[in-house]
Amino acid sequence: MYSSPRSKWLGLLYLTPALLFVALFTVYPLTQMIWVSFNNWTLISPPKFVGLNNFTKAFSDRQFWVSLTFTLKYTAIITPILMIGGYAVALLVAGNSPLQRFTRTIVFLPVVIGLGASSLLWYWLFAADAGFINTILRDLGLIRTPILWLGVNADVSNFAIIISVVWKVLGFGMILFVGAIQAVSTEVNEAALVDGASGWQRVRSITLPLTLRTILLVTLISVIGSLLAFDQFYIMTAGQPQNLTATSVFFIYLNSFPYLKLGYGAALSLILAVFVLLFTLVQMLATRRSHA
Amino acid sequence: MKLPKLMISAAVAVAALLAATPMGAFAQDLQMWERTGGNATMVDKLVEMWNEKNPNRKIVLTYIEHSEMVPKLAQAIASGEVPDLMGLDLIYGPQFEAAGQLEDITDYFKDDATLKTASPGHILVSTYNDRLYGVPLYADVSVLYWNKLLFKEAGLDPEVGPASLQDIHDMAAKITALGDGKYGYYLPGNCAGCNIFTFGPLIWASGGKIEPLDANDEPLVGDNIAKVLEWARQMHKDGLINPANQSENGSTFAEQLGSGKVGIMGTGNFNLSLLQAQNPDLFNNVGVTFLPGLEPGSAASFAGGDIVTVPKGSKRVSDAVDFMKFILSDEVQVEGYAKLLNLTTRGDMANNQYFTDPRVVKMASALDVARTPYTLKFFELINSPQGPWLQMLQRVYYTDDPIDQIITDAKAQMKAIAAE
Repeated sequence: MYSSPRSKWLGLLYLTPALLFVALFTVYPLTQMIWVSFNNWTLISPPKFVGLNNFTKAFSDRQFWVSLTFTLKYTAIITPILMIGGYAVALLVAGNSPLQRFTRTIVFLPVVIGLGASSLLWYWLFAADAGFINTILRDLGLIRTPILWLGVNADVSNFAIIISVVWKVLGFGMILFVGAIQAVSTEVNEAALVDGASGWQRVRSITLPLTLRTILLVTLISVIGSLLAFDQFYIMTAGQPQNLTATSVFFIYLNSFPYLKLGYGAALSLILAVFVLLFTLVQMLATRRSHA
Repeated sequence: MKLPKLMISAAVAVAALLAATPMGAFAQDLQMWERTGGNATMVDKLVEMWNEKNPNRKIVLTYIEHSEMVPKLAQAIASGEVPDLMGLDLIYGPQFEAAGQLEDITDYFKDDATLKTASPGHILVSTYNDRLYGVPLYADVSVLYWNKLLFKEAGLDPEVGPASLQDIHDMAAKITALGDGKYGYYLPGNCAGCNIFTFGPLIWASGGKIEPLDANDEPLVGDNIAKVLEWARQMHKDGLINPANQSENGSTFAEQLGSGKVGIMGTGNFNLSLLQAQNPDLFNNVGVTFLPGLEPGSAASFAGGDIVTVPKGSKRVSDAVDFMKFILSDEVQVEGYAKLLNLTTRGDMANNQYFTDPRVVKMASALDVARTPYTLKFFELINSPQGPWLQMLQRVYYTDDPIDQIITDAKAQMKAIAAE
């Protein structure tokens, strides 16, 4: 019955709204972006076709590689912190005692703040002279001269931004992990307890394997989010010092809007999209394998 | 009797649409865009004065985030939805004029005498191929302030400000020696715009040129550029500038003088009225002079601010030009600009009953020694935090790289950008 021509058309009819939505908001803009990437276009002058020039220019642009390398470094550092930190906190607060529920709420609270607002908040906390962080460190006698957290040294800036993002995002992974941990059957844990398994053994042999899909999902979200990092760097360092903290998306933004090089920005966006797609494919393969 | 559901829904939709319409926006109103971060008090006042006199063609003013102004405008032009008037950071004038996106208003001003005395820097960037595309909306100039309280404390004559770069160094050394977090001079380490505004004039006053006009023009020309950069490096090496300034990206730049911890600082005319609110004691104890160069008596200033233009596609060009003429009129120059202690945008109006403070008079006369960079790629070359201008200065301020090499690298970067 499902293979009859009438039912096929009916199925397509049901799918039409979704297909139209995808065509309008995904396929059309993507096609436009591909077209723009083959042109030099400032918006205030007519576009000029340049073929693959924008792509070849990207790969020979030193700043493209600086930005990509920095973005990968940021991703490589922050992802394990978010994963291990989020999972560790989730293990501690997965129960339902009042203290655990309260802690969950506190850790999750920054997630509901916008990334822009939280970046501004941390920008002031890290301010050299009047910032709360330096004031505390000075009052404790740990430093004499203020630490220049942002925009002066790329590694120090990265460190400061990672602290701010971990504060902001850790709760998101934690809440997903808590859900996954709570879904693990209590019978399995009780059986392990009867067999004399320690807390760590239960985590390693029961909780971790049974929550692997959630771990991979959170990793995927975290990696994609980090590869597309923009707000925090735009607000806290503006790419300084010497463009060493200009992430890939920041570099795209800079070319597309302030410099009005829309074609080059589009080409950079497509290259980054391919990178993100590759990461996503690897993650999805890993997820499937874990499921199998 | 119950109303049909459809009618109720329609009534709700109409009410929602009406609620979403900006209050007071009517078809005959002129739409004007202006950037945030500029002189909003002044622009608000100008629009208020115009609206009082022109109730049938009021201006509805919308502020656009400063950093988004150029892209937003470009998008508006590309989509054909442009405002009737547009306040534009004057440095972006040439870029839009060259792209043919502004209305040519030359003929409207053919017999207008007010234009002859309008700020030369503003008129320069409003002119392309001998055609006029805008007039000054408001003017900012950079000048040098000194803190008389710190001068007294350091044993310096509080009534005599620095007249050369060497003076700045020597005076700053005495003020820095006071300790207690007081520093002789201020240079923002992470703000390209602040540096072209306050450090650029030090180069100009020493005979140097910074930006290239186009791909055929040589940037960073002048033997004294290296000397000015050496001076800046020495100021840092001698500890006369607070190391914390290295992270200053412009967000707290205007508040630094009011902290009372800075002896000498290049900043804008706007800082005087800001001081009045921030630190009234200091307001009466700051001196103002021109930004100097290497030689005593040399002086320069950056003439900044906004121009007001008419984007191509505006259907109200004639009304828009009337607003331009209105803000250049004698009455608005005095009762608008001068009354608020803002610089008049016409040089001949600087002598007025409101400019009694000699510091304001000094700032008004800075327009005579002021320059406005003219280039088609100002943002990429100068204003961008990622641009060669700031990169060059950061290497000067905070590294030991040879100055000549730094200049060579910056030249190459500027040329590459100009050639694109």
